[in-house]
Amino acid sequence: MLDTTALESFPSLISHGINVAGEISAPPSFQLPNSNDFDGFVKETIQMVKPAKGTTTLAFIFKEGVMVAADSRASMGGYISSQSVKKIIEINPYMLGTMAGGAADCQFWHRNLGIKCRLHELANKRRISVTGASKLLANILYSYRGMGLSVGTMIAGWDETGPGLYYVDSEGGRLKGNRFSVGSGSPYAYGVLDSGYKYDMSVEEASELARRAIYHATFRDGASGGVASVYYVGPTGWKKLSGDDVGELHYHYNPVTPSTVEQEMVEAAGP
Amino acid sequence: MTIFKHNGSAVVAMVGKNCFAIASDRRLGVQLQTIATDFQRISKIHDKLYIGLSGLATDSQTLYQRLVFRHKLYQLREELDMKPETFASLVSAMQYEKRFGPYFCQPVIAGLGDDDKPFICTMDAIGAKELAKDFVVAGTASESLYGACESMFKPDMEAEELFETISQALLSSVDRDCLSGWGGHVYVVTPTEVKERILKGRMD
Repeated sequence: MLDTTALESFPSLISHGINVAGEISAPPSFQLPNSNDFDGFVKETIQMVKPAKGTTTLAFIFKEGVMVAADSRASMGGYISSQSVKKIIEINPYMLGTMAGGAADCQFWHRNLGIKCRLHELANKRRISVTGASKLLANILYSYRGMGLSVGTMIAGWDETGPGLYYVDSEGGRLKGNRFSVGSGSPYAYGVLDSGYKYDMSVEEASELARRAIYHATFRDGASGGVASVYYVGPTGWKKLSGDDVGELHYHYNPVTPSTVEQEMVEAAGP
Repeated sequence: MTIFKHNGSAVVAMVGKNCFAIASDRRLGVQLQTIATDFQRISKIHDKLYIGLSGLATDSQTLYQRLVFRHKLYQLREELDMKPETFASLVSAMQYEKRFGPYFCQPVIAGLGDDDKPFICTMDAIGAKELAKDFVVAGTASESLYGACESMFKPDMEAEELFETISQALLSSVDRDCLSGWGGHVYVVTPTEVKERILKGRMD
């Protein structure tokens, strides 16, 4: 069953079922395109969004909490459409979501998740857990499975049981874990992240590891670049730690030393 | 991805006052993965003739080796370095020979001809020559390069100013292309000297 909470508007809540004109109103639903070949159209949209997972995002749990980091490049095929995309979405003051895949899909459904989390707080007089929030999102995405949504996200937060990290995607998958990286640059980020990871890291060490992992991914992956943002989620909520331009980070990690001149022409002494 | 976008490249050449500049990016990739950041795309044919080959890297290396061979034979027979216009015709003919199984390269040729008059031209993968008086571009970043060169180019620039202009045009264009960049390589050639410079660019 499709999740249509995103579409409800006030008029339909007032007179659900039978409207003013006396007709039975249809339940809210997303408008579907009038195309002769709906399946082919859906296949085409899926293909259109497929290369969009050009990005690098990562998150890991350590002793002090959760570290979340991402690049900021948006690419359309070979063209770089933006170097300043916010890929870490603030769902609420103690939960973050990362964006990989279709930007519109991620932004819309993360905001929808934020709404649902707030409604849960109001209904139950307590904050929703990271487990619960990720399950809400995973169920929504599962109901739209096969329709071309492209979402590869990590939900990171701090609740009563401590730090929590889940990976949720548009295929309907939901995984609990300690270390994740999503996107076309994720193999490169995993290499750095896995070799440098220790559970007992301080916040500074963990943020440097996250920044380095994103930097190395932007160096090797053509579809990742821009700014490496690093966020920390602790007991009091999330905090943005840094947003360093990756172009400058390269020369910070690899300072340019003047190289020895191989061949130099000198003015011959004139007559 | 089309075959021309497999490795990624950006090459540009500009004409100045009695000089020319030819520049390229330094990335060699396989689709989105970057393999090398010091790939040579511009090669010397003789002191006053340079060729930059964009497109599929293996074809550009092979085409370059065949062109060096043909030029060396010409030097032995004619006891003369080839003029840029003649060389361009040679490249065009060699590419058309492979009309139904082409080299997937777009060459950019830049040289100083008779009386050290600068000459630039580019051609498509099957040898259609495009002569220009101001600048020529090739590669995955070519659309951005066209825009950048069109706005930054001025006629009759001296060697230093030409270097600045071509570098800015190259770097700003490859910063909008996922498949090219990772540094730049610029040659500025005047009748008396050749200055080769490596540009510090964004490495993402």
